[in-house]
Amino acid sequence: MEMLLSTLVSALLMGMLFALVALGLAIIFGVMNIVNFAHGEFLMVGMYTAFLTATIFSIEPLLTLPIAAMVGFLLGIASYYMLVRYLLKGPMIAQLLGTFGLMIFLRYLAMCIFGPDYKTLEHGLLIGKSIMWGPVVLSYPRLGTAVLSMLGFGIIYWMMDYTRLGKALKATALDVEAAGYMGIDTEKMRGLAWGLGGATVGIAGALLINFYYVFPTIGILFCMIAFATVALGGFGSIKGAFIAGLIMGMIIDLGGTYLGPQYKFALIYLTFFLVVVIRPKGLFGW
Amino acid sequence: MGAKTKIISPYFLKVTVGLLVVSVAVSIGFGMARAQPAEVKIGVIYPLSGPVAHAGQMSKDAVSLCVDYINNKWSQLPIPIGNWEGIPGLNGAKIKLIFADHRGEPDRGADLAKKLILDEKVVGICGCYHSSVTKTVSTVCEKHKIPMINPESTSPVLTKRGYKWFFRATPHDRIFVRDFFEFLELLTRGKVPGVGAVPKSDIDEIGACTENTEWGAGTRDVIKEFAKKYGYKIVSDVTYPHESPDLTAEVRRLLTPKPETLMFASYISDAILLTKTMKELKAKANVFWSQDVGFYQPKYIETFGAATQGILNRTVFSKKLFAVKPVARHINEEFKKRAGVDFMGTSARAFTGMQAWAYVLNKAQSTDPEAIRRAAETIEISGKDLIVPWKGIKFENVGGETNQNTWSSGLIVQYQKQEPEIIYPLDAATAKFIYPWPGLK
Repeated sequence: MEMLLSTLVSALLMGMLFALVALGLAIIFGVMNIVNFAHGEFLMVGMYTAFLTATIFSIEPLLTLPIAAMVGFLLGIASYYMLVRYLLKGPMIAQLLGTFGLMIFLRYLAMCIFGPDYKTLEHGLLIGKSIMWGPVVLSYPRLGTAVLSMLGFGIIYWMMDYTRLGKALKATALDVEAAGYMGIDTEKMRGLAWGLGGATVGIAGALLINFYYVFPTIGILFCMIAFATVALGGFGSIKGAFIAGLIMGMIIDLGGTYLGPQYKFALIYLTFFLVVVIRPKGLFGW
Repeated sequence: MGAKTKIISPYFLKVTVGLLVVSVAVSIGFGMARAQPAEVKIGVIYPLSGPVAHAGQMSKDAVSLCVDYINNKWSQLPIPIGNWEGIPGLNGAKIKLIFADHRGEPDRGADLAKKLILDEKVVGICGCYHSSVTKTVSTVCEKHKIPMINPESTSPVLTKRGYKWFFRATPHDRIFVRDFFEFLELLTRGKVPGVGAVPKSDIDEIGACTENTEWGAGTRDVIKEFAKKYGYKIVSDVTYPHESPDLTAEVRRLLTPKPETLMFASYISDAILLTKTMKELKAKANVFWSQDVGFYQPKYIETFGAATQGILNRTVFSKKLFAVKPVARHINEEFKKRAGVDFMGTSARAFTGMQAWAYVLNKAQSTDPEAIRRAAETIEISGKDLIVPWKGIKFENVGGETNQNTWSSGLIVQYQKQEPEIIYPLDAATAKFIYPWPGLK
């Protein structure tokens, strides 16, 4: 029982990180119907930004969150205006290969700048700390990540449902032509979706660096789970990304603990496969 | 017409025979020239990108330094290669290393080996760090009859396949794991300096945590085998996927039965994540031992600093050897200038592996693969010439193994104030053993 409780808590905490990583992917797909293969590399950029800012300026890693969000936002905007908008004029395969190319470019650019070595932060308010709560060990970095992830989801959810900007984004997602007729600058909305996608994954990167290492090819580790998460939650659904992130956390942690670590990724991709076959639109997809 | 075909002019005969003689002589000449070229290419396959790139980069620095010693005169260096200017047995031919990055992927390693052999025409292969990659690369070498000297892959299986073209310089995991159980036995008998006799019941419940590629799987099997042989119980046995984004479930499974002795086989990225997770979950045990690699790298010490206190590692190298091996200190100084870090187990073995290559080529006096293989089979390199504390290098077929260096041996070191102090063998110990493991403070 103690182990189950401990596993459930840790699964929920990790699930919220997976959800936050997947959120940006869901936003971009929701608004534009395009899969960003460079999403994992956006996460890597967020992690390096947080690492460098915290190291160079000797500041608390949590304070790097706005900077990582800003860098992620600018990276998203730049990716849209300098690449994606041109890809949209081409066939579907161009869109796929275009973001794939962006992935390779960012990955090896990081390799040139930082080398293949990995970097970790060892000092910070949360880093390496934990508290015993009955039988459950609560890791501060994971707890902090979960709280801020929920906050991030709350803000994005509120923005999408209760602000004019969010409604304009949703309108663009639902019918780009009709949104254009209503006076919405759809081009700007698409750029904004990429910016928001970049910002959320940038925040995820800045949180992740509190308990994980960064190196140029780290994106692939989390990106695969993010794809499975978005597919499970439904491409384009913010609520879906959140719930699916939690489910992914459960599958990884409960499966890893009770069935054996060797099964945890098999279970994730089995879930992914079943969703694609049985309910292709995902749990909350359109 | 018929008369013409019957008559062969003596002049024509002389010219033909002359041409034949000349062509044979030229062929032999070319053959000799090919056997003793100005440059000898060796393919070096390491993980130069990806999560284990740090180790690959250090190995690259180590083999490059060794080749610099071989190709250029370093009269201050107190071992024979310091006086070499190229391979003496090949008329001073310089070694040229062709590096390739396998990224930790066995199939990519095999492709690179084929490319190096067929396109680059290398005379042999050195590498590949990961046992899983070494396995596929050595299979390609075996097929193409090209010698491979492996400096550092420790999966016992590698020398159990009967391969004729594969030579391993390092001791393997059976030797390392056996040494550790021998050490535990000495601990229970009160023979280890710094601690009295430890009741076996305080250390006999083992938690094993190994990654799931060739090396980790091999280590796991050997741990099981020796635990049974020495009367220890494995209370948790966790195998995890290499390069996992989260290892919480694995650490929880490992720690839940409260093992007294923890044993790990992890690459560096996993070692860092495991240690961070264990720190968060407040891991406790009496003994913490790991199979070098991830837990015995400058990056690991740099990351965890004082928290490494009391962690045991099997290895083949420690800076503490400098007192008895001045040549190791000398070469380490140059290595540190170039790589920015001291030699550790992996880089020291990479250097030694390349040194073995040079000695083998020198003995072969030819770049013919069969001549190189025969030279490797019969070579005996004295431990005095090496930076590692071995009797030397001698590849032998014993105990069902082929071409294993039977003159190699291991050490057990313990981090004490972030320095790897030698604990085992006891006659080489440089510090008292810290017991129990103080935890990841």
